[in-house]
Amino acid sequence: MQKIVVSAFVICSFNINSQTAVSSGMFGMMEARCLGPGTMSGRITSIEGVNKDEGKTIFIGTAGGGVWKSTNAGASYTSKFDKYCQSIGALAINQKEPDVVYVATGESNMRNSVSIGNGMYKTTDSGDNWKKIGLDSVEHISKIVIHPDKPEIIYVAAPGALWSNSKHRGLYKSSNGGETWDKIFYIDDQTGCADLLMDPSNPDILFISMWQFRRQPFSFNSGGKTSGLYKSVDAGKTWKEIKNGLPAKPFGRIAMTLAPSDPKQMLAIVESTNTGLYISSDAGETWKNQSATLNVCARPFYFSTIVIDPKDPKRVYRPAFNFAYSSDGGYSFTEASYDGGWVHSDMHALWINPVHTNIMYVGTDGGIYVSIDRGITWQFNHGLPVGQFYHVAYDLKDPYNVYGGLQDNGSWTAPSAAPGGIGNGSWNRVGGGDGFWTVPDVDGKTVYAEYQGGNMDRTTLATMKSEYIQPQKTAKEEKLRWNWNTPIVTGAKNPKNLYVGSQYLYKSNDQGRTWKRISADLSTNDKKKQNQEESGGLSADNTSAENHCTIFTLAESPFDENIIWAGTDDGNLQVTTNGGETWTNVSTNVAKCGVANQAWVSSIEPSHFDKNTVYATFENHMYGDFKTYLGKSTDLGKTWKRINSTEFCSFAHKIKEDLENKNLLFLGTEMGLFATVDGGDNWFRMKNKIPEYALVRDIQIHPKTPDLIIATHGRGIFILDDIRPMRSLTKEVWEQDVYLFQTPDITLGNGRFGWGGTDVSGGWGEGNPSSIPSINYYLKSRISTGKITVDIYDDKDKLLQSIPGSVRKGINMVDWNLRGTPPVVAEGSTKFDGAGFTAPMILPGTYTIKLKINEKEYKSTVKCLHDTANKDLSVEDRKQVYEKAMQLQTLYRNVNNTIDSISFYQKSLKADTIAFAKNKNAQIFYNDLQKVKSDFMAVTKTSIFADEERLREKISKLYGSFCGMEAKPNSTQLEAIGVLEGDFKTQKESFEKTIVKNLPKNPELKNPKVFK
Amino acid sequence: MKIVMKVLAIILISIFSFGTQAQTMDEIIKKHIDAIGGKDNWAKLKSMKMVCTMKANGADIKITITHIDKKAMRQDIAVMGMNGYSIITEKEGWSYMPFQGQTKPEPMTADDVKNSQEGLFIQDDFITYKDQGKKLEYIGKDDVDGTECFKIKMTDKNGQETSYFIDPSNYYTIKQTTKYKADGKEQEGSSMYSNYKKLPEGIVYPMTISGGFGTTDVATLEINPKIDESVFKPTVPPATQSVTPTK
Repeated sequence: MQKIVVSAFVICSFNINSQTAVSSGMFGMMEARCLGPGTMSGRITSIEGVNKDEGKTIFIGTAGGGVWKSTNAGASYTSKFDKYCQSIGALAINQKEPDVVYVATGESNMRNSVSIGNGMYKTTDSGDNWKKIGLDSVEHISKIVIHPDKPEIIYVAAPGALWSNSKHRGLYKSSNGGETWDKIFYIDDQTGCADLLMDPSNPDILFISMWQFRRQPFSFNSGGKTSGLYKSVDAGKTWKEIKNGLPAKPFGRIAMTLAPSDPKQMLAIVESTNTGLYISSDAGETWKNQSATLNVCARPFYFSTIVIDPKDPKRVYRPAFNFAYSSDGGYSFTEASYDGGWVHSDMHALWINPVHTNIMYVGTDGGIYVSIDRGITWQFNHGLPVGQFYHVAYDLKDPYNVYGGLQDNGSWTAPSAAPGGIGNGSWNRVGGGDGFWTVPDVDGKTVYAEYQGGNMDRTTLATMKSEYIQPQKTAKEEKLRWNWNTPIVTGAKNPKNLYVGSQYLYKSNDQGRTWKRISADLSTNDKKKQNQEESGGLSADNTSAENHCTIFTLAESPFDENIIWAGTDDGNLQVTTNGGETWTNVSTNVAKCGVANQAWVSSIEPSHFDKNTVYATFENHMYGDFKTYLGKSTDLGKTWKRINSTEFCSFAHKIKEDLENKNLLFLGTEMGLFATVDGGDNWFRMKNKIPEYALVRDIQIHPKTPDLIIATHGRGIFILDDIRPMRSLTKEVWEQDVYLFQTPDITLGNGRFGWGGTDVSGGWGEGNPSSIPSINYYLKSRISTGKITVDIYDDKDKLLQSIPGSVRKGINMVDWNLRGTPPVVAEGSTKFDGAGFTAPMILPGTYTIKLKINEKEYKSTVKCLHDTANKDLSVEDRKQVYEKAMQLQTLYRNVNNTIDSISFYQKSLKADTIAFAKNKNAQIFYNDLQKVKSDFMAVTKTSIFADEERLREKISKLYGSFCGMEAKPNSTQLEAIGVLEGDFKTQKESFEKTIVKNLPKNPELKNPKVFK
Repeated sequence: MKIVMKVLAIILISIFSFGTQAQTMDEIIKKHIDAIGGKDNWAKLKSMKMVCTMKANGADIKITITHIDKKAMRQDIAVMGMNGYSIITEKEGWSYMPFQGQTKPEPMTADDVKNSQEGLFIQDDFITYKDQGKKLEYIGKDDVDGTECFKIKMTDKNGQETSYFIDPSNYYTIKQTTKYKADGKEQEGSSMYSNYKKLPEGIVYPMTISGGFGTTDVATLEINPKIDESVFKPTVPPATQSVTPTK
């Protein structure tokens, strides 16, 4: 007994501790809005469909947006992988049991911005639940192949790590559905398995291509003597290298395919010093070079897909820079038509419906397209919001707009709210190429946007006319080095200051018309890292993606425009306190707190509360180091303290300090969004309807609207509206059992927008933020027994409305529609009456909020204010509207009471159905009542296309218009009230006459109480 | 679903077990059934009539559920002056939702009938799942509104999947999600349960249910009432009826 008591005490203590720890769940009711868009989507890495489902069920793997599923052939998609790594390398469906799906994380299109994976996952219920099944350290996976007859046998091709040597690469095999894995082919720690084929007629025959490759921050190499093509005829036990007919080594990346209907027919695109297409007709034993278009052989490291039709061995598809197809087995190719619209270039995945082979889906750098004519023409799927933003910015308009640039999809802007919500049609393009920084000018008319390598324009938003404004080299500078993702920043203190950085920092205060260089070279200027023209390996690849020794991030102090911070991609963090006259490199100081020397300075956040305090993130993933580096200095960079947490995951892109609560910080990494409410001592992963492992590249907090704006590299833009609950949740609050927050003053109104119409652009869509602040309360623990209500009282302590409260642990948010309780609607109509859903908006004043939890009550007040910005409605008008609406509500209630009385009589008459059937007087009475009732409300309407308007519907219509009115009522509206009151008087008299006429003949009905 | 009320000793044992070692799915289910009043008390439940109120913009929508175990269930909804209903029996299903434009009762599709018939079992799903040929799978822990719940998936004979999220502190179900596959479409619905109350009959029932449709409070709940089975026949709504007087 004593032992049990002790145990119980320990458990209680544990529970108390666990309950007071701040966690993401405490803020779970704050749900972010995903603005998408779907109009320009993101890079697609894998597409697989369920064969036996007519091709309706399709899984999509993306570069940074996880896994999506469609059950309607692409008409709509649902995200299925929000809790896991978002970088997807490959998918595979067990076609014998198609609810079993494998996902390999870690994309293998090995560009500079590719993300990393953390292993294999498996679902047995078509994506509802996932289990991690190993290969955690492989980082990048290109293909999964399942044995068609023995689906427990799975092969996985793993190119492996991009940024470091690794033993976790090669060909893996599982013979037990992924429970355990064996590495069955391995060459060395620089050579991975890039492609994998299985002969469907003899699954023991396998082909693999091995690939030696490596990236560094400043160069890429594809190719080496260990690359090659191999074949096994014994399910991977032994392998032989295939060379006959192939070009001389070294090879780079090899993409292969075979014809499922004739597996001896094979094609391979072999990267070499003379990259070409090769054909084999003897199952890979011998090969013959085939002339091919540029598109077929272009950029082998990036375009690694070639597919032969499932039924026709002569039909070949090559999704690459463009979409090419052949009808003669690869002898000649032509390219897809753009009839019906442009198809995004840069293609990486193709799935052909094996039953209806005319239907196919291609995955591009800009989303999914479907063809129903064998790849000749394509239609875009608009519902996949997997755009890969690099940065996000906002303007100061109301509602504000967001701006951002996306990988291979230009620069765009959209409103944070719009009539009808945000849809694909809300987005407008403001720049081309690969988009990065997209920054509005403070003038509200101009935006600065760039494309890769520091090419930048000043664009007038009204006309979209642009001027090229990139600073040019003069005789005083070395060749300018522009980062692929060149920073363009306006000043936090003086927003008219425009900064851009090559290796030098430039400043303009006339929108880029004149530039002043305000620094020397701020990078390490290491010449060994500046040979980009030699980058690429066997195939030259110099697209500015490897430009190095450049400025990567900039920030002006919000206190002093002469304090400017600049961080480089080669480890320097520099600060000036005199507008650039002199600079101090504090990178040595940073290194002392444990940050790697050469790490990129990924973001700098000068504090809004102290001039000398600054936060910075650093990332070193291009040297194979994925640790989260976050530092803080309180002495302008002289000393640094590293901030760390066991919650952190992957390398850091952005640190953001709240604008009002200095203890509230947000951190974005390659695998998630994290927050602290205690200045960095304790961190938690933000969920809030944001994918838990989202690639969070940028974070902003709007200075006027307290919103968190998040740019993800794979899931578009998210806005977490109104973070005031996070600002308010202090230790004093979270240690209480219940806490009712003070509700901010509320300006009375129906919201910012009207309906806005149906979104004709289709595809992805998202709603607007609530226009009314919610009533918020905190619960230390979930309330499982008992009920919560939030009751609103007026200044006379009259209950206006009782609202059900949520019971969750943490912050709870309840919406009050600023109205009282709607009138009750009498039953029995054949027409829906909306008046029962509305009540007049309350008048300005102070209202009492009572939070009732079982027997306890917590009180606060809220001030509701007249909307002085609405010039159509004076305070006097508002009062008149309210009074007239209440007058109509009273009339409406009287009508419904009368209808209830009629129904009461009718019900009483029919109470004894047998007697009623025999009683002619009762039947006449009943029908007389029915006739009277039919004048009060619709009772015969048989179709939504045959309207029937009676007194109640007329009152309802007028009442509804007064309830929604935000302008002075017009004269006819006021006059109509009297007309309807007169109609009611007449009809009620008719009812009373009916009673007087019939009641004496129906003496069994004696219930005078029904009259009211 | 639904249930609980355990004595203090059971609570302590439950918490102790939770804190010290992982539980098997069978243990979780047993504690859940104990928490909702125990199998014996539920076994006495043969029929039910429940009147609920759903809040929408401050207005009340009345919902009445009439249910005979394994036999038939009817849901009536009165909203904005109109009355509609759905009926599901062992053999057929009907719906009359005039607010959606229906002018007379219409038969449910075969898939809808099949899926809806799963709801004919009045007992908690964890009490009857074996009888119904359903399979269970323990998925693991999952966060629901800040509470780390046990997640158990139940799959019926038709392949319809329902996931239950059980609060480890009291073993109540606090969330349920169901994936519906019918007529070529796939949809998912979820409900949240709270306000658990022990009824005089010994069972513990969630008196508040919320979901995408709003929050519904159980106003009255009659256990084993006498039910006129004629209510399970679709009838023309009375508002459109008139009477031809006897000659």
